[in-house]
Amino acid sequence: MSIVDLTSMGEPQSELRKEINDRLSKLKDEISDYCYQCAKCTSGCEAHKLLELEPHKIVALLKRGLIDEMVNSDIIWTCMSCFKCRERCPQKIAPIEILFALKNMAVASGKEIPGKYTTFLQSILSIGAIQDIQEISTRDNKTTRRAELSLPNISKPKDLTKFQASLMKIAVEKV
Amino acid sequence: MEKKYALFTGCMMSTEQYAYELSVRESLPTLDVKLVDVEGFSCCGEPMKSVNQLMALYLSARNIAIAQKNNLAILAPCAMCHLSLSECKHILENNKEMKDRINGMLAAEDLNYSGSIEVLHIVDLLYDKIDLETIKKHVKKPLSGLKFATHYGCHLIRPSELGRPVNSENPTKMEEILNALGAETVSYYPEKLDCCGGILQINSLESALTKTGQKLKAIQEYGFSGLVDVCPWCHRMYDARQVKAGETVATKLEVPVFYLTQLLGLAFGIKKEKLGLDLNLSPVDKLNLSEVQR
Repeated sequence: MSIVDLTSMGEPQSELRKEINDRLSKLKDEISDYCYQCAKCTSGCEAHKLLELEPHKIVALLKRGLIDEMVNSDIIWTCMSCFKCRERCPQKIAPIEILFALKNMAVASGKEIPGKYTTFLQSILSIGAIQDIQEISTRDNKTTRRAELSLPNISKPKDLTKFQASLMKIAVEKV
Repeated sequence: MEKKYALFTGCMMSTEQYAYELSVRESLPTLDVKLVDVEGFSCCGEPMKSVNQLMALYLSARNIAIAQKNNLAILAPCAMCHLSLSECKHILENNKEMKDRINGMLAAEDLNYSGSIEVLHIVDLLYDKIDLETIKKHVKKPLSGLKFATHYGCHLIRPSELGRPVNSENPTKMEEILNALGAETVSYYPEKLDCCGGILQINSLESALTKTGQKLKAIQEYGFSGLVDVCPWCHRMYDARQVKAGETVATKLEVPVFYLTQLLGLAFGIKKEKLGLDLNLSPVDKLNLSEVQR
């Protein structure tokens, strides 16, 4: 399997899906008795006002087992991962962790990954970082780069083949 | 006593946000901090959490294992890296099965995770490891007459359950550090804990910029001299993308945005070129920094 196969996620990955499903079931079992829908998470949610994410409803939907519906919804990708819901829940429930698991499930199910996540993943696999060294602009519109600023070389995985192999293993199969 | 750390530069600072790296490398030696460049690091994993949480955890554990192999604690100036590495320590400390599983994979690169090393951010390094009195002693050019708003960054603040460098609802360490440098601050403004939108820029740039714009607009209206941050993702939004962020809130934004380490360096009398101040794209010249430099 090549990087392209991996990041295009053409085949739904059954082993990985099973593992994420276990994670979601665990989250479901842990929260079902505790969340009393006070919506404190939603009142502080950074994505709520702007993008109508309602973490307390995510918890309620999980309680009812409507996982596929959420995995297929764009709303799970509006979370800004500010961690306020996890911080402030009086019952120590973490809607953000449910959202991470749902997004992981969407990816493992072969759904299209929105935005730059695929690019980031490809870049990590090939050079170890989410992007390569950028040429940047100064305030008075001159371009400059890392080397010109006398910054040392970037730290990188020494053996990229081994590094890549481990990540591929995580992405496609149960370890 | 000299403090020695492996500098974990992370992706955003080392590939784009050079002003942060320059000012970190330039200002900390004044405080007897030695930064070591260690080979072999990769992305911390945090940006991959939405794609594959296990991969994120593995990447963090791998980076910690590398620092550990070099017998060094980690200094992670990026709030996202700091959270990712701290969360990894927390998870693996409480989940032996997962720790064994990760170690099984790390063996391929001849690494082993024990989690014994410390992971620090700039704010706790300055406030807790060094202390304000020592910082004050090194101030040669106080930042007097300037009043700053602070932005800690969500990942530095929460979740407190994992142990974060600052208080989760009313963080004040940056204010206290800035005060030690001679600048004024306010302990609270209504938007202080608002998110920069940084993570959302990965898949929804327009909405992310709206978050950025809303906070900057408020800061501009309150009349602060500028905004100070300690995360390359936040800084990218507030500084590099300020003009675009202004468009989303129909406001011409002119808020000077600094890294805390740039102001630290200025107060220590380090020349602004060395602190990467020409790389800030927000109007930092507004503050007449040559006055501070005099």
